[in-house]
Amino acid sequence: MESIRELMAEKHRRCDDYFVTAERAVASANWDKASAEFEKFRDAMSRHFDVEENILFPAFEAHTGVFMGPTQVMRGEHKQLRELMSVAEAALAARDADDYSGTAETLLIMLQQHNMKEENVLYPMCDQHLAEHLDVLLPQLKNELIS
Amino acid sequence: MQALLSYDQSPPLYAPMRFFLTAPCFGMLAGLLVLWSGWSGSDVELNASRWTPVVLALTHLVTVGIMLQVMLGAVIQIMPVLAGANMVKPMRLARVVHALISLGALTLTAAFLSSSPLLFKLAALLLGLGIAYFVGSAVYALYGIPSSSPSIRDLKIAILGLSVTVGLGATLAITLGGSLGLPSSTLADIHLGWGFVAWGTILLAAVAYVVVPMFQLTPAYPDWFGRWYSVSLLVVVLLWTIAEYCSWNLVSLVLGVGVVSGSALFAGITLKIQRHTKRAHFDATQHYWRGAMLSALAACGLWLAARTVPLLADWPVWPLVFGVLVLFGGFVSVIFGMLYKIVPFLIWLHLQQQGQGRVMAPNMKKVIAERAMNGQLLAHFASCLLLLLALMWPNEFDYPAGLALVAANAWLLRNLLAGLSVYRGHLRKIESVFSGAIRR
Repeated sequence: MESIRELMAEKHRRCDDYFVTAERAVASANWDKASAEFEKFRDAMSRHFDVEENILFPAFEAHTGVFMGPTQVMRGEHKQLRELMSVAEAALAARDADDYSGTAETLLIMLQQHNMKEENVLYPMCDQHLAEHLDVLLPQLKNELIS
Repeated sequence: MQALLSYDQSPPLYAPMRFFLTAPCFGMLAGLLVLWSGWSGSDVELNASRWTPVVLALTHLVTVGIMLQVMLGAVIQIMPVLAGANMVKPMRLARVVHALISLGALTLTAAFLSSSPLLFKLAALLLGLGIAYFVGSAVYALYGIPSSSPSIRDLKIAILGLSVTVGLGATLAITLGGSLGLPSSTLADIHLGWGFVAWGTILLAAVAYVVVPMFQLTPAYPDWFGRWYSVSLLVVVLLWTIAEYCSWNLVSLVLGVGVVSGSALFAGITLKIQRHTKRAHFDATQHYWRGAMLSALAACGLWLAARTVPLLADWPVWPLVFGVLVLFGGFVSVIFGMLYKIVPFLIWLHLQQQGQGRVMAPNMKKVIAERAMNGQLLAHFASCLLLLLALMWPNEFDYPAGLALVAANAWLLRNLLAGLSVYRGHLRKIESVFSGAIRR
Protein backbone atom coordinates (compact mmCIF):
# COMPACT_ATOMS: atom_id res chain seq x y z
CA MET A 1 0.00 0.00 0.00
CA GLU A 2 1.03 3.57 -0.66
CA SER A 3 2.44 5.52 2.28
CA ILE A 4 1.55 9.00 3.51
CA ARG A 5 5.08 10.01 2.64
CA GLU A 6 4.76 8.87 -0.98
CA LEU A 7 1.36 10.44 -1.50
CA MET A 8 2.21 13.81 0.04
CA ALA A 9 5.68 14.03 -1.54
CA GLU A 10 4.14 13.40 -4.93
CA LYS A 11 1.76 16.33 -4.32
CA HIS A 12 4.72 18.52 -3.33
CA ARG A 13 6.34 17.82 -6.71
CA ARG A 14 3.07 18.69 -8.48
CA CYS A 15 3.05 22.08 -6.76
CA ASP A 16 6.68 22.62 -7.87
CA ASP A 17 5.54 22.20 -11.47
CA TYR A 18 2.98 24.98 -11.15
CA PHE A 19 5.65 27.20 -9.59
CA VAL A 20 8.01 26.58 -12.49
CA THR A 21 5.40 27.35 -15.14
CA ALA A 22 4.65 30.68 -13.44
CA GLU A 23 8.37 31.51 -13.18
CA ARG A 24 8.90 30.80 -16.88
CA ALA A 25 5.92 32.96 -17.82
CA VAL A 26 7.40 35.87 -15.82
CA ALA A 27 10.78 35.33 -17.52
CA SER A 28 9.10 35.73 -20.91
CA ALA A 29 7.05 38.71 -19.62
CA ASN A 30 3.79 36.86 -20.21
CA TRP A 31 2.08 38.38 -17.20
CA ASP A 32 -1.43 37.07 -17.76
CA LYS A 33 -0.21 33.51 -18.03
CA ALA A 34 2.05 34.04 -15.00
CA SER A 35 -0.87 35.22 -12.89
CA ALA A 36 -3.05 32.33 -14.02
CA GLU A 37 -0.32 29.76 -13.30
CA PHE A 38 0.57 31.29 -9.96
CA GLU A 39 -3.09 31.09 -8.98
CA LYS A 40 -3.02 27.35 -9.69
CA PHE A 41 0.12 27.04 -7.57
CA ARG A 42 -1.38 29.01 -4.70
CA ASP A 43 -4.65 27.05 -4.81
CA ALA A 44 -2.86 23.69 -4.80
CA MET A 45 -0.59 24.81 -1.96
CA SER A 46 -3.43 26.22 0.12
CA ARG A 47 -5.43 23.04 -0.26
CA HIS A 48 -2.38 20.99 0.70
CA PHE A 49 -1.89 23.06 3.86
CA ASP A 50 -5.60 22.85 4.73
CA VAL A 51 -5.63 19.07 4.34
CA GLU A 52 -2.59 18.75 6.58
CA GLU A 53 -3.92 21.14 9.21
CA ASN A 54 -7.45 19.73 9.27
CA ILE A 55 -6.94 16.00 8.68
CA LEU A 56 -3.37 14.73 8.91
CA PHE A 57 -1.98 16.78 11.80
CA PRO A 58 -4.99 16.31 14.09
CA ALA A 59 -4.80 12.53 13.47
CA PHE A 60 -1.10 12.55 14.37
CA GLU A 61 -1.69 14.72 17.43
CA ALA A 62 -4.59 12.62 18.68
CA HIS A 63 -2.59 9.44 18.30
CA THR A 64 0.71 10.59 19.80
CA GLY A 65 -0.57 13.15 22.29
CA VAL A 66 2.10 15.54 20.98
CA PHE A 67 0.38 18.83 20.22
CA MET A 68 3.22 21.35 20.51
CA GLY A 69 5.81 19.38 18.49
CA PRO A 70 6.47 19.18 14.76
CA THR A 71 2.86 19.76 13.70
CA GLN A 72 2.88 23.10 15.47
CA VAL A 73 6.12 24.08 13.75
CA MET A 74 4.67 23.09 10.38
CA ARG A 75 1.57 25.23 11.04
CA GLY A 76 3.88 28.19 11.72
CA GLU A 77 5.73 27.59 8.46
CA HIS A 78 2.45 27.31 6.54
CA LYS A 79 1.61 30.78 7.82
CA GLN A 80 4.95 32.15 6.59
CA LEU A 81 4.47 30.47 3.21
CA ARG A 82 0.96 31.89 2.85
CA GLU A 83 2.37 35.37 3.52
CA LEU A 84 5.11 34.89 0.92
CA MET A 85 2.54 33.74 -1.63
CA SER A 86 0.53 36.95 -1.03
CA VAL A 87 3.65 39.10 -1.52
CA ALA A 88 4.51 37.24 -4.74
CA GLU A 89 0.94 37.68 -5.94
CA ALA A 90 1.13 41.42 -5.27
CA ALA A 91 4.39 41.63 -7.24
CA LEU A 92 2.70 39.82 -10.14
CA ALA A 93 -0.25 42.19 -10.02
CA ALA A 94 2.17 45.15 -10.09
CA ARG A 95 4.14 43.43 -12.90
CA ASP A 96 7.33 43.96 -10.92
CA ALA A 97 9.70 41.27 -12.25
CA ASP A 98 12.53 42.02 -9.76
CA ASP A 99 10.29 41.92 -6.74
CA TYR A 100 8.59 38.78 -8.00
CA SER A 101 11.89 37.04 -8.68
CA GLY A 102 13.32 37.85 -5.21
CA THR A 103 10.12 36.81 -3.45
CA ALA A 104 9.75 33.68 -5.58
CA GLU A 105 13.33 32.65 -4.77
CA THR A 106 12.66 33.09 -1.05
CA LEU A 107 9.34 31.26 -1.35
CA LEU A 108 10.99 28.37 -3.20
CA ILE A 109 13.70 27.85 -0.58
CA MET A 110 11.30 28.25 2.34
CA LEU A 111 8.95 25.80 0.66
CA GLN A 112 11.63 23.25 -0.18
CA GLN A 113 13.16 23.18 3.27
CA HIS A 114 9.63 22.89 4.69
CA ASN A 115 8.89 19.98 2.33
CA MET A 116 12.20 18.39 3.31
CA LYS A 117 11.29 18.42 7.00
CA GLU A 118 7.89 16.93 6.24
CA GLU A 119 9.17 14.27 3.86
CA ASN A 120 12.21 13.26 5.92
CA VAL A 121 10.81 13.54 9.41
CA LEU A 122 7.10 14.21 9.88
CA TYR A 123 5.56 11.96 7.18
CA PRO A 124 7.67 8.94 8.19
CA MET A 125 6.49 9.56 11.79
CA CYS A 126 2.89 9.71 10.55
CA ASP A 127 3.36 6.47 8.59
CA GLN A 128 4.75 4.83 11.70
CA HIS A 129 2.23 6.11 14.25
CA LEU A 130 -0.85 5.99 12.04
CA ALA A 131 -0.10 2.63 10.37
CA GLU A 132 -3.38 1.11 11.56
CA HIS A 133 -5.47 3.97 10.21
CA LEU A 134 -3.90 4.27 6.75
CA ASP A 135 -6.72 2.45 4.96
CA VAL A 136 -9.15 5.16 6.08
CA LEU A 137 -6.76 8.10 6.14
CA LEU A 138 -5.15 7.74 2.71
CA PRO A 139 -8.40 7.79 0.67
CA GLN A 140 -9.54 10.75 2.77
CA LEU A 141 -6.34 12.69 2.01
CA LYS A 142 -6.50 11.80 -1.68
CA ASN A 143 -10.09 12.90 -1.88
CA GLU A 144 -9.38 16.31 -0.43
CA LEU A 145 -6.14 17.12 -2.26
CA ILE A 146 -6.12 18.77 -5.66
CA SER A 147 -4.96 16.11 -8.11
CA MET B 1 11.32 11.47 20.88
CA GLN B 2 13.99 14.07 21.51
CA ALA B 3 13.98 14.91 17.80
CA LEU B 4 10.23 14.95 17.75
CA LEU B 5 9.91 17.54 20.48
CA SER B 6 12.72 19.88 19.54
CA TYR B 7 12.15 19.75 15.85
CA ASP B 8 11.97 23.44 15.08
CA GLN B 9 15.04 24.85 16.71
CA SER B 10 16.89 26.53 13.94
CA PRO B 11 20.18 27.59 15.60
CA PRO B 12 20.76 31.34 16.18
CA LEU B 13 21.99 33.23 13.09
CA TYR B 14 25.48 33.80 14.42
CA ALA B 15 26.03 30.09 15.07
CA PRO B 16 26.65 29.26 11.39
CA MET B 17 27.48 32.84 10.32
CA ARG B 18 30.73 32.99 12.29
CA PHE B 19 32.03 30.05 10.25
CA PHE B 20 30.83 31.54 6.97
CA LEU B 21 32.43 34.93 7.64
CA THR B 22 35.77 33.41 8.65
CA ALA B 23 36.13 31.30 5.50
CA PRO B 24 36.85 34.19 3.07
CA CYS B 25 39.39 35.58 5.58
CA PHE B 26 41.35 32.36 5.22
CA GLY B 27 40.88 32.64 1.45
CA MET B 28 42.51 36.07 1.57
CA LEU B 29 45.35 34.66 3.68
CA ALA B 30 45.85 31.97 1.02
CA GLY B 31 46.11 34.73 -1.60
CA LEU B 32 48.63 36.61 0.52
CA LEU B 33 50.67 33.44 0.91
CA VAL B 34 50.76 33.04 -2.88
CA LEU B 35 51.89 36.65 -3.22
CA TRP B 36 54.50 36.29 -0.51
CA SER B 37 55.98 32.96 -1.52
CA GLY B 38 55.76 32.69 -5.28
CA TRP B 39 54.48 29.22 -4.36
CA SER B 40 54.14 27.63 -7.73
CA GLY B 41 57.58 28.14 -9.24
CA SER B 42 60.91 27.77 -7.51
CA ASP B 43 59.74 25.40 -4.80
CA VAL B 44 58.50 22.83 -7.26
CA GLU B 45 61.58 22.93 -9.44
CA LEU B 46 63.77 22.55 -6.41
CA ASN B 47 61.85 19.74 -4.79
CA ALA B 48 59.93 18.24 -7.67
CA SER B 49 57.28 17.41 -5.11
CA ARG B 50 53.88 18.47 -3.85
CA TRP B 51 55.10 18.27 -0.26
CA THR B 52 56.78 21.65 0.01
CA PRO B 53 56.01 23.63 3.17
CA VAL B 54 54.33 26.43 1.23
CA VAL B 55 52.14 24.04 -0.77
CA LEU B 56 51.13 22.22 2.41
CA ALA B 57 50.40 25.51 4.18
CA LEU B 58 48.32 26.71 1.24
CA THR B 59 46.45 23.40 1.01
CA HIS B 60 45.48 23.57 4.67
CA LEU B 61 44.47 27.23 4.48
CA VAL B 62 41.95 26.04 1.89
CA THR B 63 40.90 22.70 3.40
CA VAL B 64 40.81 23.68 7.07
CA GLY B 65 40.45 27.46 6.72
CA ILE B 66 37.75 27.61 4.03
CA MET B 67 36.24 24.16 3.49
CA LEU B 68 36.09 22.82 7.04
CA GLN B 69 34.81 26.16 8.37
CA VAL B 70 31.86 26.34 6.00
CA MET B 71 31.12 22.62 6.11
CA LEU B 72 30.88 22.58 9.91
CA GLY B 73 28.78 25.76 9.99
CA ALA B 74 26.47 24.28 7.37
CA VAL B 75 26.17 20.91 9.14
CA ILE B 76 25.16 22.67 12.40
CA GLN B 77 22.50 24.44 10.36
CA ILE B 78 21.19 21.54 8.27
CA MET B 79 21.06 18.77 10.88
CA PRO B 80 17.63 19.85 12.20
CA VAL B 81 16.23 20.30 8.68
CA LEU B 82 17.73 17.20 7.10
CA ALA B 83 17.44 14.74 9.96
CA GLY B 84 15.35 16.40 12.69
CA ALA B 85 18.50 16.19 14.84
CA ASN B 86 19.37 19.13 17.07
CA MET B 87 22.80 19.73 18.50
CA VAL B 88 22.79 20.52 22.22
CA LYS B 89 23.53 24.21 22.95
CA PRO B 90 24.34 25.10 19.34
CA MET B 91 25.63 28.57 20.16
CA ARG B 92 28.20 27.32 22.66
CA LEU B 93 29.16 24.52 20.27
CA ALA B 94 29.60 27.01 17.41
CA ARG B 95 31.65 29.42 19.51
CA VAL B 96 34.03 26.80 20.89
CA VAL B 97 34.44 24.76 17.68
CA HIS B 98 34.89 27.91 15.60
CA ALA B 99 37.55 29.30 17.94
CA LEU B 100 39.44 26.00 18.12
CA ILE B 101 39.49 25.27 14.39
CA SER B 102 40.29 28.87 13.42
CA LEU B 103 43.24 28.97 15.81
CA GLY B 104 44.13 25.45 14.71
CA ALA B 105 44.20 26.43 11.04
CA LEU B 106 46.43 29.43 11.76
CA THR B 107 48.76 27.38 13.95
CA LEU B 108 48.96 24.60 11.36
CA THR B 109 49.84 27.11 8.63
CA ALA B 110 52.54 28.60 10.84
CA ALA B 111 53.79 25.09 11.66
CA PHE B 112 54.24 24.19 7.98
CA LEU B 113 55.99 27.47 7.23
CA SER B 114 58.30 27.31 10.25
CA SER B 115 58.66 23.49 10.60
CA SER B 116 58.27 24.01 14.34
CA PRO B 117 57.52 20.72 16.19
CA LEU B 118 55.81 22.63 18.98
CA LEU B 119 53.44 24.39 16.57
CA PHE B 120 52.57 21.06 14.90
CA LYS B 121 51.66 19.57 18.27
CA LEU B 122 49.65 22.65 19.22
CA ALA B 123 47.79 22.56 15.88
CA ALA B 124 47.01 18.85 16.37
CA LEU B 125 45.68 19.61 19.85
CA LEU B 126 43.49 22.56 18.77
CA LEU B 127 42.04 20.88 15.69
CA GLY B 128 41.70 17.53 17.43
CA LEU B 129 39.78 19.07 20.35
CA GLY B 130 37.56 21.18 18.08
CA ILE B 131 36.61 18.26 15.86
CA ALA B 132 36.19 15.88 18.80
CA TYR B 133 33.68 18.29 20.37
CA PHE B 134 31.87 18.72 17.06
CA VAL B 135 31.77 15.01 16.24
CA GLY B 136 30.69 14.15 19.80
CA SER B 137 27.78 16.59 19.58
CA ALA B 138 26.80 15.40 16.10
CA VAL B 139 26.86 11.73 17.11
CA TYR B 140 24.79 12.50 20.23
CA ALA B 141 22.26 14.44 18.13
CA LEU B 142 22.03 11.70 15.50
CA TYR B 143 21.88 8.87 18.03
CA GLY B 144 18.69 6.90 17.61
CA ILE B 145 17.65 8.76 14.47
CA PRO B 146 16.90 6.18 11.78
CA SER B 147 18.59 6.57 8.39
CA SER B 148 15.24 7.01 6.67
CA SER B 149 16.77 8.80 3.67
CA PRO B 150 20.11 8.48 1.85
CA SER B 151 21.01 11.98 3.03
CA ILE B 152 20.74 11.11 6.72
CA ARG B 153 22.79 7.93 6.29
CA ASP B 154 25.42 9.76 4.23
CA LEU B 155 25.66 12.54 6.79
CA LYS B 156 26.59 9.85 9.34
CA ILE B 157 29.17 8.34 6.95
CA ALA B 158 30.64 11.79 6.26
CA ILE B 159 31.03 12.45 9.98
CA LEU B 160 32.95 9.16 10.24
CA GLY B 161 35.07 10.36 7.28
CA LEU B 162 35.76 13.65 9.05
CA SER B 163 36.83 11.85 12.23
CA VAL B 164 39.27 9.60 10.36
CA THR B 165 40.65 12.52 8.32
CA VAL B 166 41.33 14.66 11.37
CA GLY B 167 42.58 11.69 13.41
CA LEU B 168 45.12 10.90 10.68
CA GLY B 169 45.96 14.58 10.28
CA ALA B 170 46.66 14.93 14.00
CA THR B 171 48.81 11.78 13.91
CA LEU B 172 50.76 13.24 10.99
CA ALA B 173 51.22 16.55 12.75
CA ILE B 174 52.56 14.79 15.84
CA THR B 175 54.84 12.69 13.59
CA LEU B 176 56.11 15.88 11.96
CA GLY B 177 56.52 17.21 15.47
CA GLY B 178 59.06 14.44 15.89
CA SER B 179 57.28 12.23 18.40
CA LEU B 180 56.21 9.26 16.30
CA GLY B 181 58.17 7.24 13.79
CA LEU B 182 55.38 6.43 11.33
CA PRO B 183 55.59 6.25 7.50
CA SER B 184 54.38 9.78 6.95
CA SER B 185 54.02 9.86 3.15
CA THR B 186 51.73 6.81 3.15
CA LEU B 187 49.74 8.26 6.04
CA ALA B 188 49.56 11.59 4.20
CA ASP B 189 48.08 9.89 1.11
CA ILE B 190 45.51 8.10 3.26
CA HIS B 191 44.69 11.35 5.12
CA LEU B 192 44.18 13.06 1.76
CA GLY B 193 42.01 10.22 0.40
CA TRP B 194 39.72 10.28 3.44
CA GLY B 195 39.52 14.07 3.46
CA PHE B 196 38.71 14.46 -0.24
CA VAL B 197 36.47 11.45 -0.61
CA ALA B 198 35.07 9.99 2.63
CA TRP B 199 34.45 13.40 4.19
CA GLY B 200 34.35 15.92 1.32
CA THR B 201 32.71 14.05 -1.52
CA ILE B 202 30.31 12.03 0.63
CA LEU B 203 29.16 15.12 2.55
CA LEU B 204 28.71 16.88 -0.78
CA ALA B 205 26.72 13.92 -2.10
CA ALA B 206 24.53 13.91 1.05
CA VAL B 207 23.77 17.58 0.52
CA ALA B 208 23.51 17.36 -3.27
CA TYR B 209 20.76 14.67 -3.28
CA VAL B 210 18.64 17.20 -1.50
CA VAL B 211 19.67 20.65 -2.64
CA VAL B 212 20.32 20.11 -6.35
CA PRO B 213 16.87 18.72 -7.22
CA MET B 214 15.04 20.91 -4.72
CA PHE B 215 16.59 24.31 -5.28
CA GLN B 216 17.54 23.99 -8.92
CA LEU B 217 14.35 22.03 -9.71
CA THR B 218 16.13 19.30 -11.62
CA PRO B 219 15.13 15.63 -11.88
CA ALA B 220 16.13 13.60 -8.79
CA TYR B 221 19.42 11.68 -8.68
CA PRO B 222 18.83 8.08 -9.86
CA ASP B 223 17.52 5.76 -7.12
CA TRP B 224 20.49 3.39 -7.32
CA PHE B 225 22.80 6.35 -6.88
CA GLY B 226 21.16 7.47 -3.65
CA ARG B 227 21.03 3.92 -2.36
CA TRP B 228 24.53 2.71 -3.18
CA TYR B 229 26.84 5.60 -3.97
CA SER B 230 28.21 6.68 -0.62
CA VAL B 231 28.27 3.22 0.94
CA SER B 232 30.18 1.82 -2.06
CA LEU B 233 32.57 4.75 -2.07
CA LEU B 234 33.24 4.29 1.64
CA VAL B 235 33.93 0.56 1.16
CA VAL B 236 36.34 1.27 -1.73
CA VAL B 237 38.13 3.95 0.34
CA LEU B 238 38.44 1.48 3.24
CA LEU B 239 39.90 -1.26 1.03
CA TRP B 240 42.22 1.24 -0.68
CA THR B 241 43.42 2.37 2.75
CA ILE B 242 44.37 -1.19 3.69
CA ALA B 243 46.14 -1.77 0.36
CA GLU B 244 47.94 1.54 0.59
CA TYR B 245 49.05 0.93 4.16
CA CYS B 246 50.31 -2.56 3.32
CA SER B 247 52.06 -1.26 0.16
CA TRP B 248 50.15 -3.65 -2.13
CA ASN B 249 50.91 -1.31 -4.99
CA LEU B 250 48.87 -2.88 -7.77
CA VAL B 251 45.78 -3.45 -5.61
CA SER B 252 46.10 0.06 -4.27
CA LEU B 253 46.30 1.47 -7.80
CA VAL B 254 43.20 -0.42 -8.94
CA LEU B 255 41.23 0.70 -5.87
CA GLY B 256 42.55 4.25 -6.29
CA VAL B 257 41.16 4.25 -9.84
CA GLY B 258 37.86 3.11 -8.29
CA VAL B 259 37.82 5.98 -5.80
CA VAL B 260 38.63 8.61 -8.42
CA SER B 261 36.16 7.20 -10.96
CA GLY B 262 33.53 7.19 -8.22
CA SER B 263 34.11 10.87 -7.57
CA ALA B 264 33.92 11.57 -11.31
CA LEU B 265 30.62 9.68 -11.46
CA PHE B 266 29.10 12.04 -8.90
CA ALA B 267 30.28 15.08 -10.89
CA GLY B 268 29.01 13.58 -14.15
CA ILE B 269 25.54 12.72 -12.82
CA THR B 270 25.20 16.15 -11.19
CA LEU B 271 26.04 17.85 -14.50
CA LYS B 272 23.58 15.61 -16.32
CA ILE B 273 20.61 16.31 -14.05
CA GLN B 274 21.52 19.99 -13.89
CA ARG B 275 21.06 20.21 -17.67
CA HIS B 276 17.39 19.42 -17.11
CA THR B 277 16.73 22.21 -14.61
CA LYS B 278 13.24 23.68 -14.85
CA ARG B 279 14.29 27.09 -13.47
CA ALA B 280 13.91 29.97 -15.89
CA HIS B 281 17.43 31.35 -15.28
CA PHE B 282 20.78 29.89 -14.23
CA ASP B 283 21.79 31.85 -11.11
CA ALA B 284 25.18 32.28 -9.38
CA THR B 285 24.70 29.13 -7.29
CA GLN B 286 23.94 27.00 -10.34
CA HIS B 287 26.93 28.43 -12.23
CA TYR B 288 29.09 27.66 -9.21
CA TRP B 289 27.85 24.07 -9.09
CA ARG B 290 28.40 23.55 -12.81
CA GLY B 291 31.89 25.09 -12.72
CA ALA B 292 32.75 22.93 -9.72
CA MET B 293 31.60 19.70 -11.33
CA LEU B 294 33.48 20.46 -14.56
CA SER B 295 36.61 21.22 -12.56
CA ALA B 296 36.21 17.98 -10.57
CA LEU B 297 35.82 16.00 -13.78
CA ALA B 298 38.98 17.61 -15.19
CA ALA B 299 40.84 16.74 -11.96
CA CYS B 300 39.71 13.10 -12.09
CA GLY B 301 40.67 12.91 -15.77
CA LEU B 302 44.11 14.30 -14.98
CA TRP B 303 44.63 11.83 -12.13
CA LEU B 304 43.69 8.87 -14.32
CA ALA B 305 45.85 10.17 -17.19
CA ALA B 306 48.85 10.61 -14.87
CA ARG B 307 48.51 6.94 -13.90
CA THR B 308 48.59 5.79 -17.54
CA VAL B 309 50.65 8.32 -19.53
CA PRO B 310 54.32 8.16 -18.43
CA LEU B 311 55.12 11.60 -19.86
CA LEU B 312 52.43 13.17 -17.70
CA ALA B 313 53.41 11.11 -14.65
CA ASP B 314 56.92 12.57 -14.90
CA TRP B 315 55.64 16.14 -15.00
CA PRO B 316 56.32 17.36 -11.43
CA VAL B 317 53.58 19.96 -11.53
CA TRP B 318 50.60 17.66 -12.23
CA PRO B 319 49.75 17.02 -8.55
CA LEU B 320 49.53 20.78 -8.04
CA VAL B 321 47.27 21.18 -11.08
CA PHE B 322 45.14 18.38 -9.62
CA GLY B 323 45.06 20.16 -6.26
CA VAL B 324 43.97 23.49 -7.77
CA LEU B 325 41.24 21.77 -9.81
CA VAL B 326 39.89 19.78 -6.84
CA LEU B 327 40.22 22.38 -4.10
CA PHE B 328 39.76 25.81 -5.67
CA GLY B 329 37.82 24.78 -8.78
CA GLY B 330 35.78 22.01 -7.14
CA PHE B 331 35.09 22.18 -3.41
CA VAL B 332 35.57 25.93 -2.90
CA SER B 333 33.29 26.72 -5.87
CA VAL B 334 30.44 24.56 -4.53
CA ILE B 335 30.92 26.04 -1.08
CA PHE B 336 30.77 29.65 -2.31
CA GLY B 337 27.74 28.79 -4.42
CA MET B 338 25.98 27.27 -1.42
CA LEU B 339 26.76 30.30 0.75
CA TYR B 340 24.81 32.42 -1.75
CA LYS B 341 21.70 30.39 -1.02
CA ILE B 342 22.22 29.67 2.67
CA VAL B 343 23.14 33.16 3.91
CA PRO B 344 20.38 35.22 2.25
CA PHE B 345 17.83 32.59 3.23
CA LEU B 346 18.93 32.43 6.87
CA ILE B 347 18.89 36.21 7.15
CA TRP B 348 15.42 36.33 5.63
CA LEU B 349 14.23 33.53 7.93
CA HIS B 350 15.52 35.15 11.12
CA LEU B 351 14.09 38.55 10.15
CA GLN B 352 10.77 36.98 9.24
CA GLN B 353 10.59 35.25 12.61
CA GLN B 354 11.52 38.40 14.50
CA GLY B 355 9.01 40.47 12.51
CA GLN B 356 6.27 38.05 13.63
CA GLY B 357 4.27 38.62 10.47
CA ARG B 358 3.88 42.35 11.21
CA VAL B 359 7.08 43.52 9.52
CA MET B 360 7.81 41.71 6.28
CA ALA B 361 11.46 40.71 5.79
CA PRO B 362 13.30 41.86 2.64
CA ASN B 363 13.38 39.05 0.06
CA MET B 364 16.60 37.10 -0.53
CA LYS B 365 17.70 39.14 -3.53
CA LYS B 366 17.48 42.29 -1.42
CA VAL B 367 19.77 40.71 1.19
CA ILE B 368 22.62 40.05 -1.25
CA ALA B 369 22.17 41.61 -4.69
CA GLU B 370 22.33 39.30 -7.69
CA ARG B 371 24.84 41.51 -9.48
CA ALA B 372 27.26 41.39 -6.56
CA MET B 373 27.09 37.58 -6.48
CA ASN B 374 27.58 37.29 -10.25
CA GLY B 375 30.59 39.62 -10.15
CA GLN B 376 32.20 37.66 -7.32
CA LEU B 377 31.55 34.43 -9.22
CA LEU B 378 33.58 35.74 -12.17
CA ALA B 379 36.37 36.88 -9.85
CA HIS B 380 36.53 33.42 -8.26
CA PHE B 381 36.75 31.54 -11.54
CA ALA B 382 39.32 34.06 -12.81
CA SER B 383 41.43 33.33 -9.72
CA CYS B 384 41.20 29.57 -10.40
CA LEU B 385 42.33 30.09 -13.99
CA LEU B 386 45.21 32.34 -12.92
CA LEU B 387 46.34 29.80 -10.32
CA LEU B 388 46.52 27.17 -13.06
CA LEU B 389 48.42 29.54 -15.36
CA ALA B 390 50.82 30.33 -12.51
CA LEU B 391 51.70 26.64 -12.37
CA MET B 392 52.82 26.77 -16.02
CA TRP B 393 54.32 30.24 -16.08
CA PRO B 394 55.14 31.22 -12.49
CA ASN B 395 57.06 34.38 -13.28
CA GLU B 396 54.21 35.92 -15.23
CA PHE B 397 51.24 34.68 -13.24
CA ASP B 398 52.15 34.28 -9.56
CA TYR B 399 51.29 37.85 -8.67
CA PRO B 400 48.09 38.10 -10.70
CA ALA B 401 46.97 34.75 -9.21
CA GLY B 402 47.66 35.85 -5.63
CA LEU B 403 45.93 39.18 -6.18
CA ALA B 404 42.93 37.53 -7.80
CA LEU B 405 42.62 35.12 -4.90
CA VAL B 406 42.67 37.97 -2.38
CA ALA B 407 40.17 39.95 -4.47
CA ALA B 408 37.68 37.09 -4.98
CA ASN B 409 37.65 36.30 -1.25
CA ALA B 410 37.47 39.94 -0.19
CA TRP B 411 34.51 40.33 -2.54
CA LEU B 412 32.78 37.33 -0.99
CA LEU B 413 33.37 38.75 2.49
CA ARG B 414 31.96 42.07 1.35
CA ASN B 415 28.85 40.39 -0.05
CA LEU B 416 28.28 38.46 3.18
CA LEU B 417 28.82 41.60 5.27
CA ALA B 418 26.39 43.50 3.04
CA GLY B 419 23.82 40.82 3.87
CA LEU B 420 24.54 41.21 7.58
CA SER B 421 24.17 44.96 7.36
CA VAL B 422 20.72 44.48 5.77
CA TYR B 423 19.97 42.17 8.70
CA ARG B 424 21.00 44.72 11.32
CA GLY B 425 19.21 47.60 9.59
CA HIS B 426 16.01 45.62 9.35
CA LEU B 427 16.25 44.49 12.97
CA ARG B 428 16.31 48.15 14.01
CA LYS B 429 13.20 48.70 11.93
CA ILE B 430 11.44 45.80 13.64
CA GLU B 431 12.47 47.10 17.07
CA SER B 432 11.14 50.58 16.32
CA VAL B 433 7.82 49.20 15.07
CA PHE B 434 7.43 47.05 18.18
CA SER B 435 8.48 49.76 20.63
CA GLY B 436 6.10 52.16 18.84
CA ALA B 437 3.34 49.63 19.32
CA ILE B 438 4.14 49.37 23.04
CA ARG B 439 4.08 53.19 23.43
CA ARG B 440 0.71 53.36 21.76
